Amino acid sequence: MSKKALAVEFKSVDKWFDDFQVLKDINLEVSVGEKIVICGPSGSGKSTLVRCINSLESHQSGVIKVSGDEVSSKSKKDNKTLTEVGMVFQQFNLFPHLTVKENLILGPMKALGLSRKDAEERATTLLKRVKIPEQVDKYPSQLSGGQQQRVAIARALCMEPNIMLFDEPTSALDPEMIAEVLDVIIDLANEGITMIVVTHEMGFAKKAADRMIFMDEGMIVETGAPEDFFKNPKTDRCKLFLDQILQH
Amino acid sequence: MQKKTVIAILLITLLASCSSPPGTWGWYVIDPTTKAGWNNITFLLSGFSATIQLSIIAAILSIIIGLIVVLPGLSENRWIRMPSRIYVEFIRAIPLLPMLFWVFYGLPVILKSMGINIPIDPFWGAILTLAISDSAFTAEIYRGGIQSIEKGQTEAAKTIGLNYFQTMRYVILPQALRRILPPLANQFIYIVKMSAFASVIGMQELTRRANEVNVSEYRPLEIYTLLIFEYLILVLIISSGIRWLERKLGADQRK
Repeated sequence: MSKKALAVEFKSVDKWFDDFQVLKDINLEVSVGEKIVICGPSGSGKSTLVRCINSLESHQSGVIKVSGDEVSSKSKKDNKTLTEVGMVFQQFNLFPHLTVKENLILGPMKALGLSRKDAEERATTLLKRVKIPEQVDKYPSQLSGGQQQRVAIARALCMEPNIMLFDEPTSALDPEMIAEVLDVIIDLANEGITMIVVTHEMGFAKKAADRMIFMDEGMIVETGAPEDFFKNPKTDRCKLFLDQILQH
Repeated sequence: MQKKTVIAILLITLLASCSSPPGTWGWYVIDPTTKAGWNNITFLLSGFSATIQLSIIAAILSIIIGLIVVLPGLSENRWIRMPSRIYVEFIRAIPLLPMLFWVFYGLPVILKSMGINIPIDPFWGAILTLAISDSAFTAEIYRGGIQSIEKGQTEAAKTIGLNYFQTMRYVILPQALRRILPPLANQFIYIVKMSAFASVIGMQELTRRANEVNVSEYRPLEIYTLLIFEYLILVLIISSGIRWLERKLGADQRK
């Protein structure tokens, strides 16, 4: 394979929560523009791995680099790397006291220093992209779960990140709203942004992923292209997991 | 509010009509139809302005000091957290009256020994004491409110590049304020009532004026009854104002 620029790089990263080791010797390279889907049983460290990338969690040993810059294991003030990495949470985490528009323009205005006019222009464009331009003046509680998550995606995109992290973006949604959110994420995947998605939506993974990662007990157990990964899982652990979630 | 006011007025009338057994009641001391009574009434009521000024300035200071105290108290670093904890535990343990004596009579001695010659008058002495004493409670109210906001809010703010102060200013405090307001308002009513202690260092507020009229007239029952209703009416007005404010803040929140 040709040597590509790396968006995210993990070198023998370990992390403990007190005595419990959540990440064990993680080594991972994500190229610019690559779409990665991480799956695995709950408690396997998927979310923690993703949260280490934008330093919502700190790691104790090893090196994490985002676009070539090291993410410090101590400091939490890496604002530069932070605005470069967008994140979408399972629980949406929209700001309930602000309207959709205010949610979207807060970051661009305060962290990037954009004027209100420019920020609002950006917000309008992105709301069209996530297909809810008409909800601009509503409060989050007036929207459905699927709409809220699409606002959250737009809010992250407003910062024009190079890398997008999705931490189980559809797990808190009613079944009929999952598709509308996944459609937006697939659209985004087709635009060439680097994406790391933690999800159990295997249909989505088959469509959008360049590479699958299976984690268990804090380790990366298996990685591979989606075709191989789903047809011929190498490890028993991964096979069992796939059997269980693909059964339905 | 309306109902309570009516009940209050009824109570006063009832008490006033109790004056039949001779020697028991002597409402003449505050009878507005006589010159002496009218003078007494205006003198007593003029204490309102000092009580209100004391309470409002002390409350504003307490809200500011409380915020300054609580922010380091929320740090994950225990050495940054510690001064805030010590302040709260220490100040909260001192009763208001001894603190008032200490500030009014003691503090000038310390200031003088340091070469600073600022006399502390009853007004500012009382405000300082009320504000400091109350700030420990305000800080705890803030802490409860801020910690009740989900962690995901801070994380989301972080992922869109906001720094600590921006996160507080635009995300956490506006949400916490709605939860903080009711207990903070409660605390304001407490300050209004505690301001009565300022009478002992000579502050001319409601209680002091009542004491002074009582000394010359010796009609404690009537004068202190009126005093109690003065505070009652003041507090009722404040609490209806608070309810109005809560409705207003709640209206644009949509949960």
